[in-house]
Amino acid sequence: MGRRFKRSHVLQGLLLLLALAVPAVAGPYWIHVGALAWYYAVLAASWALLAGYAGQFSFAHVAFAALGGYGSALLTLRLGLPLALAIPLTVLIAMVLGALMGALVLRLSGPYLALFTLAIAEIFRLMLIAEEDVTRGSLGLQVPGLFSGGGDVPYYYLGLALVVLALMAMNGLLATRIGFFLRAIREDEGAAQASGVNTTLHKIIVFVATSAIASIAGIYYGHFVGILSPNMVIIPEMGLVIAMAVIGGIESLPGAVVGAVVVYALSEILRDYGEWRFVLLGLALILVQRFAQNGLFLFIERYLDRRTAPVSATPITEEGEYAKPS
Amino acid sequence: MTYFTLLTTNGLVIGLIYALMAAGLTLVFSVLKVVNFGHGSLYMVGGYASYYAITLLGVPPIVGVVVAMLALFGFGVAFERLVLAPMYTDKVERKDEYAIIVTFGLTILLTNLALVVFGPFSKSPPSFWQGTLIAGPLILPYDRLIASIVAIVLLVGLAWFLARTSLGQALDAVSQSRESAAVIGINPKRMYTIAFGLGSALAGGAGALIAPIFALTPDMGELPGVQAFIIIVLGGMGSVGGSIIGGILLGIVQGLGVGYLPDPNRALAYTQAFGALLLIIVLLVRPTGLFGRTHPRLD
Repeated sequence: MGRRFKRSHVLQGLLLLLALAVPAVAGPYWIHVGALAWYYAVLAASWALLAGYAGQFSFAHVAFAALGGYGSALLTLRLGLPLALAIPLTVLIAMVLGALMGALVLRLSGPYLALFTLAIAEIFRLMLIAEEDVTRGSLGLQVPGLFSGGGDVPYYYLGLALVVLALMAMNGLLATRIGFFLRAIREDEGAAQASGVNTTLHKIIVFVATSAIASIAGIYYGHFVGILSPNMVIIPEMGLVIAMAVIGGIESLPGAVVGAVVVYALSEILRDYGEWRFVLLGLALILVQRFAQNGLFLFIERYLDRRTAPVSATPITEEGEYAKPS
Repeated sequence: MTYFTLLTTNGLVIGLIYALMAAGLTLVFSVLKVVNFGHGSLYMVGGYASYYAITLLGVPPIVGVVVAMLALFGFGVAFERLVLAPMYTDKVERKDEYAIIVTFGLTILLTNLALVVFGPFSKSPPSFWQGTLIAGPLILPYDRLIASIVAIVLLVGLAWFLARTSLGQALDAVSQSRESAAVIGINPKRMYTIAFGLGSALAGGAGALIAPIFALTPDMGELPGVQAFIIIVLGGMGSVGGSIIGGILLGIVQGLGVGYLPDPNRALAYTQAFGALLLIIVLLVRPTGLFGRTHPRLD
């Protein structure tokens, strides 16, 4: 257990160093791509917490990102609030709505939950289109930037910082009892409840936490890209986030980050191939789910572990993970 | 009055197509306990299959619908065997999520494949029958009339098949209890395959019927796909009859909504949002739907 712990940390540290070094070697185009990839990374990781750890398969995650983007932009543009006030207020709104959603979906699971959250996201998107007077509808809402000068580099590092902070915050949450309770709820809600887990409270907690993180990602995205449109909430966009998390590893937060960066980078590298990229994405999503349900990141991590530690012929078991003292 | 009749009949036609799609989705859900998130893309593929059967093979338009249904039946069977089948074994731990992800992956795959292969521009297959029926206040292009008649025939046929044939009853038995069905000698796995194939064929048929009315585009399945979700929730997630009534009602309500609400941009957005809101309310208040029965989870 300890060995794996160290090894995966070394791997993550190396990846972080690599990410820090990118602006030094890459041109402005790839810095821009990287900064966008961080938006997806934060979304995919927080969705992995919601769907992978807690078993709440939500289609409304991108809606919370859009809520963040539009919230921060509209509060500053229409109400004239300073950013320092608009951003925390937006996150607060996202948390309140996240709690409300968590409370509403308490009794729903599996496909019912997926359909419910899909409907919520659709309603939100349609409202953004319909209320043109406020949101400028499909024309798109112009959003002021955060930094003057410096190009995309400051955004790149801000995005990277958000990824690291989000991962630390979520890992912190998972290391507490809450993390174990969430997994217990996912495996068997009835049994968890019978063992004294307050399932209501923990489901709401996970919705609040992941909604807040999604809204922060959306705020970052809005101010970075400079224009918001209801297309942030279309189903294919949610599909992209799901694909990233599943390919990277739906039950591993760093895995989801790697999945997001790899998928997004590949989609840029293969730009010449047009829509074939997404054909490949759909195929990859089906194949990964069919043959490597824990995602490619865990697949590689386990492979590394097995090579360096021949003793651990037994795979990393669930018991091992639960035995980690909290 | 004429305007009202026009909107109602148009809503009814679309509602019948929705009902056809929703019936397929319901059949899959009731037997496999899987919501097929790729259903809308199968509808789209059905439209194109019919188009190419008509233009390349030169079959009459109505035969194109049959070709599309057969092609989609085959595709559904293959997809179920290759991708969904591991779900019934212990290899897959979280079955609900597995099914959502692979069927959703199917949507991404098919929609983009259609963009590459068929191109982003819309295509219009030839009419079933040129011209328009005018009878008093009723104005109905023959394409819509024929699509409705074929949809009704298919829906009645489906209802008859499920209620009166031994295969249909076997499907119903598996939908009620997999174990009990197995005890009396029905092979549940075979029924899963047949149900998914039939569900796909119904989606394909709906797409082929709508093709001459609206043009074909690779993303044409997205909106009807969402509508079908709304309808099966309304109809109680697994009641074929419920989904038929739900589909017709939703089509008419939306037809009237778009026609009568002021401000076309808002009207279009909010009539769609209305359906989604209906889904939310039904799931919260009456998860078994308006005509529903409860469904055991697949474990």
